[in-house]
Amino acid sequence: MNLLIQFLRRPAIVHKWGVEDWNRFMPLARNARLLGRCLYLLEQHDLLGVVPSRLVDQLRGALNQTRYVQVQALRELRHVVRVLDREDIPPLVLKGVAYLVSGLPPSRWRNLSDIDLLVPKDDIVRAEQALGRDGWQPSGDFDAYDQHYYRDWMHEVPPLVHRQREIEVDLHHNLAPPVSRIQINAAKLWADSLLVSGPYGMVVRTLAPADMLLHNAIHLFMNDELRGGLRDVVDFRDLFEHFLAQDAAFEQLLLGRARALGCGRPLYYAVSTARDLLGLAPSAAFLAEVEVFAPAAPQARLMRWLIEQVMAPARLGLRRTAAANQLLFVRSHWVRMPPGMLFRHLVHKMVKAKKPALSAADLPG
Amino acid sequence: MPLAEQNLTLDAGPFQVRVRSSDPSFLDTLGFFYRGCVRHDGPHFVDFDIRIKRPRGLRRWLQPQVLFEIDALRPFEPQPAENAFPTYEWGLNWCIATSAHRYLMLHAGSVAFGDAGMILPGHPGSGKSTLSAALTLRGGRLLSDEFGLVRPESLELLAMPRGIPLKNTSSEAILEFDSAAPLGPTYPKTRKGRVRHLRPDALSVAQQQRTATPRWLVFPRYLAGATENLAPLDKSEAFRQLAFNCFNYKLLGETAFRAVAQIVRQTQCFTFTYSRLDRAVVQLMDLAQATGPAAHGSPR
Repeated sequence: MNLLIQFLRRPAIVHKWGVEDWNRFMPLARNARLLGRCLYLLEQHDLLGVVPSRLVDQLRGALNQTRYVQVQALRELRHVVRVLDREDIPPLVLKGVAYLVSGLPPSRWRNLSDIDLLVPKDDIVRAEQALGRDGWQPSGDFDAYDQHYYRDWMHEVPPLVHRQREIEVDLHHNLAPPVSRIQINAAKLWADSLLVSGPYGMVVRTLAPADMLLHNAIHLFMNDELRGGLRDVVDFRDLFEHFLAQDAAFEQLLLGRARALGCGRPLYYAVSTARDLLGLAPSAAFLAEVEVFAPAAPQARLMRWLIEQVMAPARLGLRRTAAANQLLFVRSHWVRMPPGMLFRHLVHKMVKAKKPALSAADLPG
Repeated sequence: MPLAEQNLTLDAGPFQVRVRSSDPSFLDTLGFFYRGCVRHDGPHFVDFDIRIKRPRGLRRWLQPQVLFEIDALRPFEPQPAENAFPTYEWGLNWCIATSAHRYLMLHAGSVAFGDAGMILPGHPGSGKSTLSAALTLRGGRLLSDEFGLVRPESLELLAMPRGIPLKNTSSEAILEFDSAAPLGPTYPKTRKGRVRHLRPDALSVAQQQRTATPRWLVFPRYLAGATENLAPLDKSEAFRQLAFNCFNYKLLGETAFRAVAQIVRQTQCFTFTYSRLDRAVVQLMDLAQATGPAAHGSPR
């Protein structure tokens, strides 16, 4: 169990840490985008005095940055909502920006890099065009194949960004690709969605609490090769505990919803991961019912191992983590598309040249 | 021939940097610039954990490259191996600029005379690095040629003496100014053109934990053939220019607004057009002498 996980489970452990422990902990927390979460946890447990002051500086610096991006995200949302309101298209916000608008616990520390919205499938092209007329454009170069990939196979259109701003806007019409193993009836999501009055007088919709958690699970374990990483598991745990504290029947609600939407498997992965790594402690009855959604034992064991390599490595840059990521990458495609389609997709991607990771920006030096 | 990897901890002002590398020429250069910054006690809390290494594979022999790793991750494309030191310097600047939001980061040279700080904000090409370099060669204490690091709650300027990258003809200008200036190797082809670094002086390095109070705010502009002209600058204009010049003004929001406003309020503000480095330095030294305590150290 790595130091970050140990800390997230039992913050008081920092009393025992020496210099080298802190030096191993900080890169893990930074890489997992959990510096802000760690700062909150330290404050909550009155442990800030134990932390070396230069590390407190780093944590505060990260939180300053998060606050800024949160404001940018809310402003971007206000711009988008203005356009969609004009078109009479109801915007439903997802993930980070939904937590922010609803003031849910992750909003105190959670960074975000884009805003995700759900719109009705029949409206998505109209929404995209309306935003296009108001200055949003595709955030990258999407060739004919990419267009086809997004529009025919995925649950979103190519990401947009306003030409004067930086935050990406992702328009979705569902929570999982229509070609994937999981088929979600979006009408059910809309039927249960909530109206929320957010900042700046915005009125938007969010998913119902149970659907919000299921989306987190689908996103992490079905769509995106665990890219959200430990941060998303922390979100899952924090939201689960928050909703359960508000509604004692939340566990049953969540199970019922997973069955109704056909996403028991991702719920199983999310619950078991949050339990293994972060000590989530739901009721025994709930766990027994979630266990029904588990895959065959060997597959469950393999996934558990892969998840641990990726989310809880002893340190960064291990070859094992890279190997696990490769396997998860393959798996994410496997669950996302039927085999024939997958084959064509991979051949296409192999032919296309690999883009550089990051071009040298014009920074100091 | 792969040597054993060296593992050094360096002071870089408020930051402690772990540098690991087995590249002998990089380590040599690092030693030339930062011998006085190496920590011999230990262990240390690390702010930036950096490794400079050669990628594996055939390129090792054909066109050797160098990789910058931070926390074992690689945010940049490999660079030509001969540019290991500029890559390290640039990479560390990138790490600071993208994460040190605990501080207000002015894109400015900064030099102290005693405890009084002179801030020299400027766009690339304004000559802030060259001026900072020349001032430190005349006994000014180098805070930084690029980062004016300010603690927003106390408005202290922090010191972070590092090698000053002199681009293109700036290194000749500095040698002409002071033929004994301790310059490192020349890097003919970097992303920023030809670069040669000036080593920070020993006194600035020894006093890198000593802060300074902002006292003068001078916006330099190099203009070929111009007569040196130090002209008072209206404070509201100074505010606008300093705010636009920060790396993280927008990010820090109100905190940055208040800090910049207070810096402008408590400093004498000037624009400074110059072309001749020796005269420019005399004029800025005079400004510091006339309104502040004498410079530490003796002019060389």
